[in-house]
Amino acid sequence: MLFSLEEVIETISAVGVETFDIRTISCGINIMSCADADVHKCAAKVYDKVIKVARDLVPTARTLEKKYGIPIVNKRISVTPVSMLANAFTEPTAVPIAIALDNAAKELGIDYIAGFGALIQKGFTRGDQILLNSIPDALCSTDRVCSSVNIGSSQSGINMDGVYRMAEIVKEAAERSRDKNGLACAKLVVFCNAVEDNPFIAGSFLGPGEAEAILNVGISGPGVVRAALERAHDLSFGELSELIKKVSFKITRTGELVGREASRMMGIPFGIIDLSLAPTPAKGDSISDILELMGLERTGCHGTTAALAMLNDAVKKGGMMAATYAGGLSGAFIPVTEDDGMCRAIEAGALNIQKLEAMTCVCSVGLDMVAIPGDTPVDVIAGIIADEAAIGMINHKTTACRLIPVPGMKAGDVVDFGGLLGKGPIMEVGRHSPSVFVRRGGRIPAPVHSMKN
Amino acid sequence: MNNNKEQVVITVLGANKPGILAGITRTIADSNVNVEDVSQKIMQDLFALMMMTDFSAANCSFEEFQNRMQAMADQLRVKVFIQHEDVFRYQHRL
Repeated sequence: MLFSLEEVIETISAVGVETFDIRTISCGINIMSCADADVHKCAAKVYDKVIKVARDLVPTARTLEKKYGIPIVNKRISVTPVSMLANAFTEPTAVPIAIALDNAAKELGIDYIAGFGALIQKGFTRGDQILLNSIPDALCSTDRVCSSVNIGSSQSGINMDGVYRMAEIVKEAAERSRDKNGLACAKLVVFCNAVEDNPFIAGSFLGPGEAEAILNVGISGPGVVRAALERAHDLSFGELSELIKKVSFKITRTGELVGREASRMMGIPFGIIDLSLAPTPAKGDSISDILELMGLERTGCHGTTAALAMLNDAVKKGGMMAATYAGGLSGAFIPVTEDDGMCRAIEAGALNIQKLEAMTCVCSVGLDMVAIPGDTPVDVIAGIIADEAAIGMINHKTTACRLIPVPGMKAGDVVDFGGLLGKGPIMEVGRHSPSVFVRRGGRIPAPVHSMKN
Repeated sequence: MNNNKEQVVITVLGANKPGILAGITRTIADSNVNVEDVSQKIMQDLFALMMMTDFSAANCSFEEFQNRMQAMADQLRVKVFIQHEDVFRYQHRL
């Protein structure tokens, strides 16, 4: 027999018991060909192009799910940062593009579509300004559109004017979606060192250096790693790392298979696999659970950063061998409301925002799905974004903020966003003001190690 | 290996009782799917069966075959998994 019964049962139970899935197949679509000075004409072209290119995405994913018996949870689309098209608009709004994207997503049965964003790490173009001004309106008048803005990079430094503007936008988007607990902010990411091929929502977009259309695959599987660790006791660090690498290898191989096959069926090139451990609110599908199984009493206690660093690294090492092209964010995500274990750690008083920030130095992204008090001032939000961007800039890694200042709520209250976005406690933020610092204006210069040429 | 083959792994898991193998193989035969290899174990009271099959000459679509097998599995009160062999090859073989 080609495979042993044990091997087959291992694969089946990874899905059935340990909640392994392909988290997303994301189709990146270049929409530069839709350029038009008339935003409404441009929106119509964007709608048509998205429908034309991604028509087969959902049926293809369904066929592959049946063929391989592995759930493909999300089918998603990302587009070129819309600010690039907005440069040409006579009328200073990009909201019609967001509505066109939303309609296309609904028509295709896609739950989120991303790329309503801008790259402003070094400054603003007219199109960037139009786009930024449109974000709160766009997120509140659509259901499925996600936005991301890159405000810094290791190569360019941090655009602090951009940081401040984004803090204002976060606040405005929260207020505008007050009836949904600030839900618009769950669809808005502020990046430093954004990657151009990330398949995960909400920060996905098709970078300017990418091809006409591309398929990227995001895998998941915290539950599989957790199950492996549950069966293993008394391992040294080397053995623990080895175990995580093996699990990561196997789940990434499945992503490789699905990506290749989807690419062949749709006739769209296969871009990258993002080999991330992405938790969901489902019980056991938690990064925090893995950290605690590694020997922490509670996530957030001293030692958590080291445990996460090791986990993140082992996931990358195992996955790299399994994928032809690894890319995206690749590592361990540590969103708060999307991870039941993280929420429990906060409620137990073990995890606070300062420790979470330390953890973002070694995780694959940043302060993700962090609900904060609704009365948090814009200056403080700008300070949080600037700190997170500085970590990314100095360490040559992607960092991000997806902060939700929940209107009317204070630290300790519990907010429920529903579905994959989960629910969790509002986290306390620092009370002292960074206001003079964050309002200085201009750009934090690029760090010395940016000068490699 | 015959490149025209379309190898599909069928796995059946459930409480052991008479007639599981008979019911499952009858549905496979009715669909003109060829069984190439079989491995079966009783682990405590758990019936575990794995079959390597060739689907290339089947008289129905893959989805229809899955539906037929699922109907039989429901009747026998066992779980059945029908998966293309690539998923196991990618995970367990280099």
